[in-house]
Amino acid sequence: MSLATDNIRVSAIEQAGPRTLAITWSDGHKDQFDVVKLRRSCPCASCIDEWTREQRLKPEDVPDTVRPLKIESVGAYALKIHFSDGHATGIYTFQMLRAFP
Amino acid sequence: MGLFSSVKDKLGGGGTRSGITEAQVKEALAKVQDPDLHQDIVALGFVRNIVIKGDKVSVEVNLTTPACPVKEQLKAQCEAVLKEIPGLAQADVTMTATTRAAQRDNNAAVVPALAGVKNIIAVASGKGGVGKSTSAVNLAYALARTGSKVGLLDADVYGPSIPRMVRITQLAEEGGPNVIIPPLADGIKVISVGMFTQASDATILRGPMAGSVIKQFLTQVQWGELDYLVIDYPPGTGDIQLTISQTAPVTGAVIVTTPQEVSLIDVRKAMSMFKTLKVPVLGVIETMSYFVCDGCDKKHQIFRSGGGERLARESGVSLLGAIPIDPRVAVGGDEGRPHVAAFPDAPASQAYIAAAGAAAQQLSILNAQASGILNQFALEWKN
Repeated sequence: MSLATDNIRVSAIEQAGPRTLAITWSDGHKDQFDVVKLRRSCPCASCIDEWTREQRLKPEDVPDTVRPLKIESVGAYALKIHFSDGHATGIYTFQMLRAFP
Repeated sequence: MGLFSSVKDKLGGGGTRSGITEAQVKEALAKVQDPDLHQDIVALGFVRNIVIKGDKVSVEVNLTTPACPVKEQLKAQCEAVLKEIPGLAQADVTMTATTRAAQRDNNAAVVPALAGVKNIIAVASGKGGVGKSTSAVNLAYALARTGSKVGLLDADVYGPSIPRMVRITQLAEEGGPNVIIPPLADGIKVISVGMFTQASDATILRGPMAGSVIKQFLTQVQWGELDYLVIDYPPGTGDIQLTISQTAPVTGAVIVTTPQEVSLIDVRKAMSMFKTLKVPVLGVIETMSYFVCDGCDKKHQIFRSGGGERLARESGVSLLGAIPIDPRVAVGGDEGRPHVAAFPDAPASQAYIAAAGAAAQQLSILNAQASGILNQFALEWKN
């Protein structure tokens, strides 16, 4: 019996450096993310216009010193990052992270 | 395996009078395969407590869910292979179960209230009036019937129908600050907005408030140890559905539909929502499938036929059950006597019991496949 499991999930998540997040996916693939770049690409409704998909956040407004405080799972499909600048509304879906440049 | 039995194995058996050894018993039972996990029951670690007394052997087979639909079949197979052991006169096989829990990161129970909940099942549809709440209630009762510990969360904030369906009239109790004690209906822990308001009062809440009520149900209700928490979703693909999926690690979803095409259009949307949220769909339950009248035994397919099957086929999930129309189902709902409890032998009840078993089976497979996946995690950043 088949299940709808084109589901890529997280197998391991850890801090790999001062500003590097490492994720091992359930298919064995490994990715590393620069947390400052993640903050600059925040997908939340105040950073990206919901209708035009235009970026409202100016990446240059985010200082290089921003860091996560805490990273937690959102349901089974995404993660949420609480940043040191107080911003925590972005929901980073696994799908988005897998395609992250 | 204990030290004693492993030593016994090395010595070539316990030296009982009949000469039957534990190794022989295991060798025989290794011929029995679990049809879903595709491995033999010895390798899966299901076989426990082998006791050999003369020419009598008793064993316990511990399955992954008490709702296993092939339990009797497995038991018969075990008995048959044991009887082939030379010199064996009597084989007693006891079937037990320990529900397997979805994987979690141990150091980070993000939602502590759900820490003891092994599986969360979403019962959803895209459309209202398809018998979703009726299905959720009867699935919960069908799971509880097999000895599982079950909870039932009514997430329909605006039209809470569960309290009436399970005959709960009292309001929910407070067990301390931010602790809600769920009332019991036939041993099932139940929570619903209906327990906080009088039945005739409408719940008037804006979206964010409705979401926060559901969040409280997931994070502040004393669920304790549960094998299955069944969540009755409101119809549609909106705020509440998203809130649940973001708050709780939902293990799998059951989609309810009627046979008609119009209903299917909305259900496809619900399916695609779960796909986005990465909640695996366990299968489809088709309600109002057919009506068997008392005059002839013909199945009258009032609302066309095969909708659930088509939906299941095109999305690659299984049809968990086709529930016939039985006026007693609706009466039972109104009177607070779920059909599965009131008429367990009726065709609609049997269909629900089989569907619950099939859903539990899918969860076991899923949990076996999901080893190595973090369901909930929290990572503190170090500077």
